Amino acid sequence: MPRTEAQPLLQVSDLHKHFPVSQGWLRRRQALRAVNGVSLEIAAGETLGLVGESGCGKSTLGRAILQLQKPTSGEVRLAGQALQGLSARELKHARRNMQVIFQDPFASLSPRRTVAQIIREPLDVHRIGTAAERRARVEELLAVVGMRSNALNRYPHEFSGGQRQRIGIARALALEPDFIVADEPVSALDVSVQSQVLNLLGKLKAERGIAFLFISHDLAVIQHVSDQIAVMYLGRIVEQAPAMELYRSPQHPYTKALMSAIPVPDPARRISRIALQGEVPSPLNPPSGCAFRNRCPLATEVCARQVPELEIFSASDAGVHQVACHHPD
Amino acid sequence: MTAAALPVERHGDSLWRRALRKFRRDRVGMLALLVVGSYAVIAAGVMLGWWATGWAEISGPKWAPVSAEHWLGTNIIGQDIFSRAIYSTRTAFEVGLVVAIGATLVGAVLGALAGFYSATWVDEIVIWLMGVLDSVPFILLVAAIAYSLQDSPWSMHIAMIVTFWIGTARLVRGEVIKLKGLEFVESAHAIGLNRLSIIFRHILPNTFHILLVQATISFVAAIKSEVILSFLGLGVKDGMSWGLMISESTFEVLAGYFNNFIAASVLMFGLVMAFNMFSDALQDALDPRTVKSP
Repeated sequence: MPRTEAQPLLQVSDLHKHFPVSQGWLRRRQALRAVNGVSLEIAAGETLGLVGESGCGKSTLGRAILQLQKPTSGEVRLAGQALQGLSARELKHARRNMQVIFQDPFASLSPRRTVAQIIREPLDVHRIGTAAERRARVEELLAVVGMRSNALNRYPHEFSGGQRQRIGIARALALEPDFIVADEPVSALDVSVQSQVLNLLGKLKAERGIAFLFISHDLAVIQHVSDQIAVMYLGRIVEQAPAMELYRSPQHPYTKALMSAIPVPDPARRISRIALQGEVPSPLNPPSGCAFRNRCPLATEVCARQVPELEIFSASDAGVHQVACHHPD
Repeated sequence: MTAAALPVERHGDSLWRRALRKFRRDRVGMLALLVVGSYAVIAAGVMLGWWATGWAEISGPKWAPVSAEHWLGTNIIGQDIFSRAIYSTRTAFEVGLVVAIGATLVGAVLGALAGFYSATWVDEIVIWLMGVLDSVPFILLVAAIAYSLQDSPWSMHIAMIVTFWIGTARLVRGEVIKLKGLEFVESAHAIGLNRLSIIFRHILPNTFHILLVQATISFVAAIKSEVILSFLGLGVKDGMSWGLMISESTFEVLAGYFNNFIAASVLMFGLVMAFNMFSDALQDALDPRTVKSP
């Protein structure tokens, strides 16, 4: 796919995903705003890292983009095509270009199918190639993810977590997508295996030009893989910047607190830690104005009144730095 | 690394083959299977006309004692009790298999649909149906269906299928609700598979262990119900069954002749007992959590 600077591969604008929740026996209907107005763009071949605490809506965002969960409102365009309002057949076709890698390698592979069946299935569903071609393709994919072909007729339970994750990646690659959502792909793995899987994903990005939305709560992992990083808090993106820029000069107080929590492997160096007070508010009942204000050291009266918009803070060759805060430095 | 950690593991071992190996080590289960197998051979022999062909003939005086000619004596009109008991094995297997397969199929499909579309109108309808059928006492419901289909030789089978699918459907529904949230199902959506394929190719195969155990439970329940229904005159119409034998033995028991009653009861007890033990062993073998050291 030719790379066009003008049009990013993935465009998400003002995406909302709300879940209806009924409480009590009187059934007061409420909306849980898991994703509350997110806009982002990912260029072809780039990785956008998405960080945030558990429950901030990052996985829901990934699933809403892939139309695995129907967004409440907002628009997702992949390679210029809007994914809303497609017929079942059109959406099936669009899925060839967007795939997903899951967090839990023990839940993401069907226990009753062999590795060959699992990796072949996308090809079967989309009727790609002849039977012989599909078989050859499965072996090739297995080699790409660094596994030997004696794995073909074995079952998922015979493999370790890292190997299963590789099988899941091979399945995601079968349709040769331009865009993959990697939802915490290494969080369930041992640290020693994490780096192997991360290197594999890095290789795929470099060799195949695949764009990733890389979801994680691990800042070290995110820094390692991302070109751009978006920080999410309670359903909104609060800061987005090129990776180096974000680590060098975080602007949002939440990002600063996250950064200060990264361990520094140097006992002589003292860093000031910012320990946040309190808990993440319930997304059923978020604070008025800025959702972060009840834990923010800089919060003032304006923060309670007005929701801060994501505004451009600075721009460089690497990209723009946006922050949603009334009091950036 | 994997091979060293799991020495008993063999390559290309499906979950089924693992369960089979576990089952083979279960002595009680194997013994039960042997007993069930013997019954099955007897039933097959009857079906093929190899033995017990003279079950309806009057072959001796009434209430003849146990002898070389009549191994278990004769009944009130002089029929051979042994042939009749053997012939009834065929009836038991026929009823058991038809009901087990029918109830499991209906339960699997309706349970899976209700589970996959949980909290929608599909689920509501299935749950409503289960509630309605469940709220009628079992014997009454079976009697009502058997009466309304009196001309059909299948009325008893239909009546049992209509009631027995509910238990299977409830279990399958719960399991499907659990499975449909797992990531391999999401991944099936992501590669563009349609919903029906997801239900029948990805979700239902993962409930087979439940279906298999439920089928054996339905089999036993069907045999026991057949005896009750036949005793009440709602079951087997032409042919012979343990229930009919027990029913005709009521007069004999009053007169002090127990052969007919004991023959039917003991044969039924043996099959039901063995099948229950087989079902238990099967459940253990299929449950991945009960891993015994080899």
